[in-house]
Amino acid sequence: MKHASKQYTALVVTAFLGILIPDIAHATQMHSGSEGIIVHQLGHLFFLLSMVTLILTINGQGLDRERGWRLIQYSALFFILWNLDALAVHFLDNQIAAVDVKTLSVWQIQIDPANNSRALANFYYILKLDHLLCVPAIALFYRGLSKLLAGEEA
Amino acid sequence: MIFPYTPILAVDVLGSFAMIIISTISLHKARMLREKHPANMVYLYLMWISSGFTIFALSRSFGHILKQLLVLSSNGEIWHTIGPYSGTINTVSFMLVGLITLFFKQSWNINRKILSSRRALEKTHLKLVHLNQNLEQQVIERTEMLTASEHKCRRIFEQSLDTILVTDSQWKIIEINPAGIPMTGYTKEEMVTGEMHIKMLFADGREWERIQGHINAHEFILNEETAFVRPNGENLLVMITCGVDYGAFGCARTYHFIIKNINEKKMMEKQMAQAEKLAALGELSAGVAHEINNPLGIILGYTQLLLKQEPESVQTTHDDLKIIEKHVHACRNVVSDLLTFSRKNSVDDDRINMNQVVDDVVKFLINHPDLRQIETDLNLWKGRQLLVTGNEQELRQVMINLLINGGYALGKKGTITITTTENNHNQVLIAVRDNGPGISQETLEKIFNPFFTTKPVGKGTGLGLSVSYGIIANHGGDITVESSPGQGTVFTIMLPRAEENGEVE
Repeated sequence: MKHASKQYTALVVTAFLGILIPDIAHATQMHSGSEGIIVHQLGHLFFLLSMVTLILTINGQGLDRERGWRLIQYSALFFILWNLDALAVHFLDNQIAAVDVKTLSVWQIQIDPANNSRALANFYYILKLDHLLCVPAIALFYRGLSKLLAGEEA
Repeated sequence: MIFPYTPILAVDVLGSFAMIIISTISLHKARMLREKHPANMVYLYLMWISSGFTIFALSRSFGHILKQLLVLSSNGEIWHTIGPYSGTINTVSFMLVGLITLFFKQSWNINRKILSSRRALEKTHLKLVHLNQNLEQQVIERTEMLTASEHKCRRIFEQSLDTILVTDSQWKIIEINPAGIPMTGYTKEEMVTGEMHIKMLFADGREWERIQGHINAHEFILNEETAFVRPNGENLLVMITCGVDYGAFGCARTYHFIIKNINEKKMMEKQMAQAEKLAALGELSAGVAHEINNPLGIILGYTQLLLKQEPESVQTTHDDLKIIEKHVHACRNVVSDLLTFSRKNSVDDDRINMNQVVDDVVKFLINHPDLRQIETDLNLWKGRQLLVTGNEQELRQVMINLLINGGYALGKKGTITITTTENNHNQVLIAVRDNGPGISQETLEKIFNPFFTTKPVGKGTGLGLSVSYGIIANHGGDITVESSPGQGTVFTIMLPRAEENGEVE
């Protein structure tokens, strides 16, 4: 209730500020090209933070004593790593255009870092293998659920 | 810079398939968990997050697979058109998973509260079931205990030899045990149904006020002696203990009395005191008689010697000596009576038929001047012989004393009833009843004292009844007197009965 009340207060204050600080009114907001990737990045960040919350909650509630929940914690950890990976790839690729990627064939790919850094190219190449993080994450989640179910059936 | 594309492609495509498969079977597992415990909020959360992961895996994996296919087939432009939609769906799926996860803690707390309430509910339910199962048994057990306790209390109340009486706060009798009925002389209906005031039981109203005042002041009274009066006017001594019960469960205040009948005890104490007093007087009399008897013998001897020596011609001296001799004889008789009164353990072992003794004495006294006008009613026992062991002469003397006293009490007219009988204590009873004016309580207390007499001076020595008492006491018996003014008097002799198998005198 308190939280809802604070939200309501913030809404009212914003409305007042809008009235008190007038500006040119745009009937429809115009969106720039980078807006999509920022929203996507925020989505990753939100996902990452929610996984951190999940780990802490499992610890806080003492659920980590059960193997099933511990596996879900590990799953959340892998999802965090995957989100970091994805954030980095999108940052380098779509936000600052630090790398230019071209698929040459089924066998080759060209990665051209803006600063011609081999290390950045290598790092980017490794980051592109993000399924090595998200597949173990979902697999651990599955194992966790299986353990919990086995515990219930026992 | 050129890098091999195959690893990226393989990991991307295989990983996407793996994501689809694993997320789908995860959703299945979560559904199974949820079905196991439909009310479990955490499992509901796991199902939601599994759904989120599945949506995420499907959108992302299909997007990736499609992208790879389009890029590899040189249709990258198409992907540029589709890509933003795929990315948007991915973003929404992240958000969804994130949102669901953020609610996990709340879900867990709610679940914990639900589980805790459920456990408490189950515990209470079990208790209720247990109580229900045992309630009937417990009711039976408690009822039995209550009945036993009530029965015990009721037995104490019913069987008590002392009177237990309960009054309400207005001192009206509301309960009395069976022992109280003969003691008070009232019926239970008169006392309880008639709401009789306890004051009615007291012989003296002022005495009740004193006791009531004490109870009001101290809330109890302990072993207080007082007198009750029966409906027929008869008084009896009682000992009262009373306590206040303020009641339970909203009951009114009541007073509980325990009343002991101490009439017989007091009478016995009185009789014992009388016996002790008479015994003391007997010892005194014996001592005095013994001391006087010897000088009297000497005086009588010398008087008789002088009478022999003195010629009868000297009339004056001779007459004086005769007067001395006469009065010495009188003194010796008194001394002899005193010795009879005080004599102990000198009873003969003759076997005497008391019917015969009584009959002889009545015939002997029929012409006595004091009894000539008196009607004598003789009721002799018709059953087996009333034999006693003792001295017949002494017992005759007792009967003579009682009859002469009765005749004196009646004056010129009246009836003396003599009854012989037996009782259950193997005793012979001889009752001498007259219908004269009766004896006052004050006189009754002294009636067996030596030298106590109500006759004018010179008419009696006051030794008749005390001598009779001494004789009966020496025979192992007792003599009692009951009288009240205007109601006549009855003397009752109780003597131990002797066995019949012997020679009767």
